[in-house]
Amino acid sequence: MMIQVKLIANYREQLPPEAINGVVELDVPDGTTVYQAISRFDIPLDDTSVIVLNGLTVDMSTPLSVGDMVTAFSAIAGG
Amino acid sequence: MYGWHLKVLRVNLTTQKITQEDVDPKIARDYLGGRGWAIHYLYKEMDPMADALSPENVLIFATGPLTATPAPTGNRYMVVTKSPLTGALAHSNSGGEFPTWMKRTGFDMFIFEGKSSKPVYLFVNEDQIELRSAVHLWGKDAHETTDILKAETSAEARVACIGQAGENLALMAAIMNDKHRAAARSGVGAVMGSKNLKAVVAMGNKNPPLHDPEGMRTLSVNTSKEVGADVKKGSNMRIYGTSYVPQVTNTLGILPTRNFLQGTFEHVNNIDGDALKNQYLIRHTPCYRCPLSCGRLTEVPDGPYKGKGEGPEYETISSLGTGCGVSNLAALVKANYLCNEYGMDTITTGMTIAAAMEMYEKGYISEEIIGMPLKFGDHDAMIAMIKLMAFREGFGEDLAQGSYRLAEKYGHPEIAVTTRKQEFPGYDPRGSQGMGLLYATSNKGASHMEGDVAYEEVFGVPVKENPLTTEGKPELVKHFEDSFALMDSSGLCVFVAIRYAFNKDRMILPLRLAEMMNLSTGAQYSPEEVMIAAERVYNLERMFLIKAGSTEDTLPYRMLHEPLPDGPAKGKVVELDKMLPEFYALRGWDEKGVPTKQKLMELGLPLN
Repeated sequence: MMIQVKLIANYREQLPPEAINGVVELDVPDGTTVYQAISRFDIPLDDTSVIVLNGLTVDMSTPLSVGDMVTAFSAIAGG
Repeated sequence: MYGWHLKVLRVNLTTQKITQEDVDPKIARDYLGGRGWAIHYLYKEMDPMADALSPENVLIFATGPLTATPAPTGNRYMVVTKSPLTGALAHSNSGGEFPTWMKRTGFDMFIFEGKSSKPVYLFVNEDQIELRSAVHLWGKDAHETTDILKAETSAEARVACIGQAGENLALMAAIMNDKHRAAARSGVGAVMGSKNLKAVVAMGNKNPPLHDPEGMRTLSVNTSKEVGADVKKGSNMRIYGTSYVPQVTNTLGILPTRNFLQGTFEHVNNIDGDALKNQYLIRHTPCYRCPLSCGRLTEVPDGPYKGKGEGPEYETISSLGTGCGVSNLAALVKANYLCNEYGMDTITTGMTIAAAMEMYEKGYISEEIIGMPLKFGDHDAMIAMIKLMAFREGFGEDLAQGSYRLAEKYGHPEIAVTTRKQEFPGYDPRGSQGMGLLYATSNKGASHMEGDVAYEEVFGVPVKENPLTTEGKPELVKHFEDSFALMDSSGLCVFVAIRYAFNKDRMILPLRLAEMMNLSTGAQYSPEEVMIAAERVYNLERMFLIKAGSTEDTLPYRMLHEPLPDGPAKGKVVELDKMLPEFYALRGWDEKGVPTKQKLMELGLPLN
């Protein structure tokens, strides 16, 4: 199934060249979780990253649905 | 005494008399410095009911015990006064270089009283203290003023001043320092203008002696190493400043768009940090001794918006940009430059224009009154409004009063997204419930800098909280409010303190700040003691607010009754009723938000 991953700011360096505006489309197996999708990228998977599903705070073991967007950014002092 | 000079410079602008005073060491300790000292003096010395633009208002510049020390980012000052925008307390913070130079004069605080009969500026070089004519500076913008004053005093001096907006008493006027940095919010620049005080010029070599210089140096080196390691990993801050945030808040559906009619902006990619980095960024420009370096020099090299300066930061992008529906980055950058030159708070400026745009589109204000069409997204009209506002010309007379008075004048107060008449910053609280409680209860009106729980609800520092829930938010808001009072009193920048001292363990921040302040002052604070001092400061500010007659803790109509129409927080309003009673109980305040006698006694505060 097709999902999207969006990386923000310095995390964008981890995206493949086909990404547009920080977003890449991925074909993943059914049952893929948020954690599994984001693990494809070389970003820290600890408290120093914020990872949300469709903009919502969820457990990393949440399975994805078609068209979902997983977004990640570095947790650092904000605006 | 170490860390603090324990010296106040008092300037009576009416009589032109300048005096020096010592600070009682017990007051120094109990109120920490900076914001804490300032509210102690303000509460003691002025009638909170006084007109904010009258000579009875008192304007205070205050540094903290870590300002002008090697503490990382120990380079902040506070401007504290009564706000003409809110009628409540104003406390606005700024960095750059001026704060350290101010403290090197040998004084911790400058207190301005009365009103000069003609424009003046204050020059302080240690014992050489003079009020000088500023007649030749009146009408000049903040950048011209800074250049002229450095040329006629010393290249070694640093300048804080107002631009035309402050002279003209526009209620969003800021006090600019080092040209591009601002004590921005609540109209503090208008208070300075009302006193005919154009600028303050500071220089000197009186660094405060430190209790433990070696310990302070070691701590500074270690923290800088920690920050340096983070920067090496690719710190967002040095590359983007805060301009990467629109992508974050847009993802969460809390990016103020078209005067909070929406929570997402379809053109966000046009005006985000990457667009800025790729098109206009020249280099990062740190405040004095800052290892984080979030400031950035930018330039629009050609075209109608040609210019060079600093910014925009997130709060400018979310107000003059998405707030106004503007997607032209060059125009947005130019608008930021103009605000810096005229000396204006970009949040209130942008959100007042946004409110006017909504009122124009709904037919509440005509093109004849405005002088031109004012649709969302019209970046040229947005720039034109900034100029009218700074000079109070034509429709600018209405705009210069801020969005609350504007919306009220034209019969639609529900359009204004304010608390205590101050415009919201860049987090829609319908999708960030803790921010809703913060805006509602903030002693200075809507402000993220009163206790920015977005760090947890949005940015995951130190942990990511669910922004859509209300559980635990009263405790979170109280903790952040007290923590910000502590940081603002210390002289440290919240960015470095938040990033490197906030922890799941709530006592790490006071532990580290107490450690730094002890190295500076030798006061032997315990972590518990500095948090109590911060709570003392916060409660005294509350008492000022109550005596100023502004007590209702609520939110504007849109936040309580108009659900967000889009994004992840679609359908949400702020559930203030669920949070407010618990917040009051945690604070030790009664059901109307007034500190109880018991709470005041516990904190050693005056009972009347």
